[in-house]
Amino acid sequence: MLLDYDRMGWLKVALLGFTALVAAFLLLPVVFIVLLSFGSSRWLAFPPPGWTLKWYQELFADPSWLEAALTSARIATMTALLAVLIGILASFALVRGRFRGREILRGLLLTPMVLPVVVFAIAIYAFFLRLGLGGTTIGFVIAHTVLALPFAIIPIATALEGFDKSIEDAAIVCGASPLEAKLRITLPSIRIGIFSAAIFSFLASWDEVVVAIFMASPTLQTLPVKIWGSLRADLSPVIAAASSLLVGLTLALMIVTALLRRRFQT
Amino acid sequence: MTQPFLSIRKLRKAFGAFTAVHDVTLDIPRGEFLTFLGPSGSGKSTTLYAIAGFQDPSSGDVLLEGKSLLAVPPHKRNIGMVFQRYTLFPHLSVAENVAFPLRVRRRPEAEVKRKVADMLGLVRLESFAERLPGALSGGQQQRVALARALAYDPPILLMDEPLSALDKKLREEIQAEIRRIHRETGVTILYVTHDQEEALHLSDRIALFRDGRIEQTGTGEDLYLRPATDFVAGFIGNSNFLAAEHLETVGGAATIRLGDGSLVSGISANGSFERGQKTRLMIRPEAFRLERGPTSAELAVEIVDVAFYGERRRIVARTAAGQEIDIRPTSAAMASQDAAPRHRQVFFDPGAAFLFPA
Amino acid sequence: MLVPLRNQGVAMSVETQRSIATMRMPGGLGGLLPALILIGLFFVVPVLALLLRSVTDPAPGLQNYAALLGDGTYARVFFNTFLVAAVVTIVTILVAFPVAWMLAIMPPALASIVFGIIILSMWTNLLTRTYAWMVLLQRTGVINRALMATGVIDQPLPLINNLTGVTIGMVYIMLPFMILPLVGTLRAIDPMTLRAAALCGASPFQAFRRILLPLSLPGVAAGGLMVFVMSLGYFVTPALLGGTANMMLAEMIAQMIQSLLNWGLGSAAAFILLVVTMALYALQLRLVGARRATGGV
Repeated sequence: MLLDYDRMGWLKVALLGFTALVAAFLLLPVVFIVLLSFGSSRWLAFPPPGWTLKWYQELFADPSWLEAALTSARIATMTALLAVLIGILASFALVRGRFRGREILRGLLLTPMVLPVVVFAIAIYAFFLRLGLGGTTIGFVIAHTVLALPFAIIPIATALEGFDKSIEDAAIVCGASPLEAKLRITLPSIRIGIFSAAIFSFLASWDEVVVAIFMASPTLQTLPVKIWGSLRADLSPVIAAASSLLVGLTLALMIVTALLRRRFQT
Repeated sequence: MTQPFLSIRKLRKAFGAFTAVHDVTLDIPRGEFLTFLGPSGSGKSTTLYAIAGFQDPSSGDVLLEGKSLLAVPPHKRNIGMVFQRYTLFPHLSVAENVAFPLRVRRRPEAEVKRKVADMLGLVRLESFAERLPGALSGGQQQRVALARALAYDPPILLMDEPLSALDKKLREEIQAEIRRIHRETGVTILYVTHDQEEALHLSDRIALFRDGRIEQTGTGEDLYLRPATDFVAGFIGNSNFLAAEHLETVGGAATIRLGDGSLVSGISANGSFERGQKTRLMIRPEAFRLERGPTSAELAVEIVDVAFYGERRRIVARTAAGQEIDIRPTSAAMASQDAAPRHRQVFFDPGAAFLFPA
Repeated sequence: MLVPLRNQGVAMSVETQRSIATMRMPGGLGGLLPALILIGLFFVVPVLALLLRSVTDPAPGLQNYAALLGDGTYARVFFNTFLVAAVVTIVTILVAFPVAWMLAIMPPALASIVFGIIILSMWTNLLTRTYAWMVLLQRTGVINRALMATGVIDQPLPLINNLTGVTIGMVYIMLPFMILPLVGTLRAIDPMTLRAAALCGASPFQAFRRILLPLSLPGVAAGGLMVFVMSLGYFVTPALLGGTANMMLAEMIAQMIQSLLNWGLGSAAAFILLVVTMALYALQLRLVGARRATGGV
């Protein structure tokens, strides 16, 4: 009876109440930051004495914020493209391949997700210092693609495992070349997985702080580095304004994902 | 009047605008094997779940020895149940599954041990005591579930289509097992199934459900030989329905005119009919004979197909009115060429045919 | 008999085609090449080079490890790290379990709202969330003011720059990673099993302790281990919400490299973190693998 939603009586009321509290806890910082960004108090008093847009004006008046955002967007887009491309190739081999050590290779490719980022960050920092790639866009993209690859492989491989290979074989029997069958039949069928992979790898780069802190140079800094620097200096409401825009972006991304999923599934 | 053991009183269950069970009333004596039979969605499982306590009825009552069960939570009802799916606890061994109801009742260890051994003996799975459920076949799992449900000597055992996930051969094997266990333990069993053969084979009594109501309650023979409605006749066994016009009924024996114009009298009438009323005449396929008997009525047919089914043959024939009927004489009663000529008479006993409203 | 035969014909020709398709790419290994080059060159090599540095910088030998393991200050950091990770894991499990339980059985419309909130929280920029907690938890922050206004306390509680702040911030971040897999585990349990337990006479508490909890334990263990491993190496949240008095390992490593430029000591500490993490990861793989082997139970 403990798994019958309609038959749990007071227990359900208690658990639902707790769930609502946790949901509120999860929502609290997100809502709070958005409200704060419109508050007029420089010292972040809450509830704010009045409402204002001046933090947004300050944000847009400072070109370094916009520049950091564009840098982040550029690096995250390239990372997502690269991670998805490499992820598709690797997923086919991991799911369809019959060779020894497949599980070990799968484990190896997923390791960057498990290893503490700080270890990777100092390792790649030292490595790039020697190669002269520190503080370059290409360096950022390479380091972020390493971190994003597991997030690309997992959804693509999962989708591919759920795809019935005999459909691809049927296309080959119909006269398509194996490559053509993959491009025209298999990839469109696993597009939800590919799409999730793109979102996850984009976010993995867009939100990445630790590697970025080490790799950033005065001329190349991503948005998280810019926020990190401001946070260490003071808790200015301008950060709240920037953060609110990021929340808005997240919401937009969630809505797009939900809409696309609905369309893909019908 | 003595008090019934288990009594269902005007039980009603509505889900929103849909009423799954309409005022079902039924008394069940101690030790009876009663089957709820019916198509899916007929309310038989809902009724069983109300007795188990998984669903609160909208109105009505369930009484065990005169006391209402409705306010008692399921874990205090002391009812045994075997489910359609295997519901063994996957992390516990077979012996621990059977012991579970005794452990939650905090029975002494010696009693638990003895009872588990008894129950595993009853379902003949002594040698599987230490296995995990996942290592057992479907049939074995259901036998463990049966042992678990009986371990605490519940006065009532509910069984919700327990054999539907098993193949035919296993099903028959466990049916025999269930009959033996019912005989040996004397437990009152309420059994739900949509399989009429299973119901006929197992039960003392059958309650046939249709659209949330009990259509007829009686022994298997009652339902087969004396169906109260055309639904019962159609659900139990195979039936042919012929269009007929009612002429008159005298003392329960009706006279009718069939589609080809022939008159038949001595039909068992269910209910009263007007003169000239459109009716349906039900005749079981095996009630047809190829030879004339002392009280036979006759029917002119054209033979369409003859097939061999082992102990019986199946003949598809067409009446003069153009209706196809199903005839199943024993194979011994005819050689295959007996069906020839294509146009011939077949015979039936009017007392074994029933008249229903159209 | 005609139909099955015809099917067999198709199956055979598909088999033939398949062998042709696989012949072009022996073993299907080729697709892995770009990924292996990337990971090999830019992950394995740099990490190995770092480890090498821990025994060569400033001079060959194990003196960096001796320094790390022999010093009380560093021991305190190690202890702190394990303590925070353990506390965060336990609190996360306790908070996540009831939520996952409800999410597993709730009507889909209601569940999708809660899932929406979880995803929103998870996808929101990490620094944004941490920044919000910094503002919420500070001495003059909303939480202290609310508690003082309602008369629960009359002095502001120290909620930030200490373990309390780190725990709140980390639990916040880890919750989705515990809730989402647990929902899967709980949904895989047949509700009928618990009905059967009830009819067998088990009270709700007995059914929880003897059936629901043991059946969900593999999911709890796997999720808990993942949260523990992630917490061990976490950098951002402890650095912003924690105090200097109770630094965690990741922060110490970053400081050794960035501020102190002590590469030898930093890489040695990183290697210790790597070994612990990988050992726990291997344990988790075994746990999850064992779960798959027993048919998802």
